[in-house]
Amino acid sequence: MKEKNQEIFSETWKDDFPIQQQEAVHVSRREFAKFLGLLSGTLALGNAGIIIKSILFPSQKLKGEHFVCNQNEVPAGGMKQFELQLDKTIPYILIHLKDGQWRAFEQKCTHLSCAVRYVPEMDKIQCPCHNGYFDARSGVVLQGPPPRPLPRLDVILKDGKVFVAEMKNKT
Amino acid sequence: MSDFRESQNKAHPNKTNTLMTGIILLLIFIISIQIWFLYSALNNALERNLDIAIATFLGSFVLALVSFWLIRYLPDPREGKIKRK
Repeated sequence: MKEKNQEIFSETWKDDFPIQQQEAVHVSRREFAKFLGLLSGTLALGNAGIIIKSILFPSQKLKGEHFVCNQNEVPAGGMKQFELQLDKTIPYILIHLKDGQWRAFEQKCTHLSCAVRYVPEMDKIQCPCHNGYFDARSGVVLQGPPPRPLPRLDVILKDGKVFVAEMKNKT
Repeated sequence: MSDFRESQNKAHPNKTNTLMTGIILLLIFIISIQIWFLYSALNNALERNLDIAIATFLGSFVLALVSFWLIRYLPDPREGKIKRK
């Protein structure tokens, strides 16, 4: 009996490391189906990973007000680029709209992270890489491939100075 | 003497083939849905939308369980291979 078991064991070993190359590279449908099952489990784990990351390591929020520049540095219809140091450095644009209002948006396009710019002639924010357009007042997508609106900051004007803060009411 | 199983196998020689193809197609279908879920979860997590991430995880987890359950029904290897062992 023991000898028989040993024989079976050695046969299994030979199955895993066959001499013929054709046998070594052959993937049976049974093995392929098992691999698909493994892949399915891995995808579920990937989904769990996203939840764990967003609960345990949420992206840092902007605390308090941050000074950007003096009001007279950006004329109406102008744009100023600035950076905020959170858990990583994030580029933003400050826009002085023609009607005198101020807006601040993240500069990275939500499509492929190209740098967006304000086009005063059209009163829109343009992503030059793939011709995506965002509304300069709300940051919502007007045209093109971007899937989401641009993340926005609140702009606060105090004594001729411009500050930005985390958006309070996301609408 | 031939039993019921042997008669069945003789009457439907392609059964193993059909079962195997069916299971593989179902698994590919399940994985396609899971990839879609994963893509949605990533896209929404970027916007700090945790609800979608949780809903897609539950869906993906149930689908993974279904695929494990399906694997149990893979037809056995052909008899020739068993004899070799």
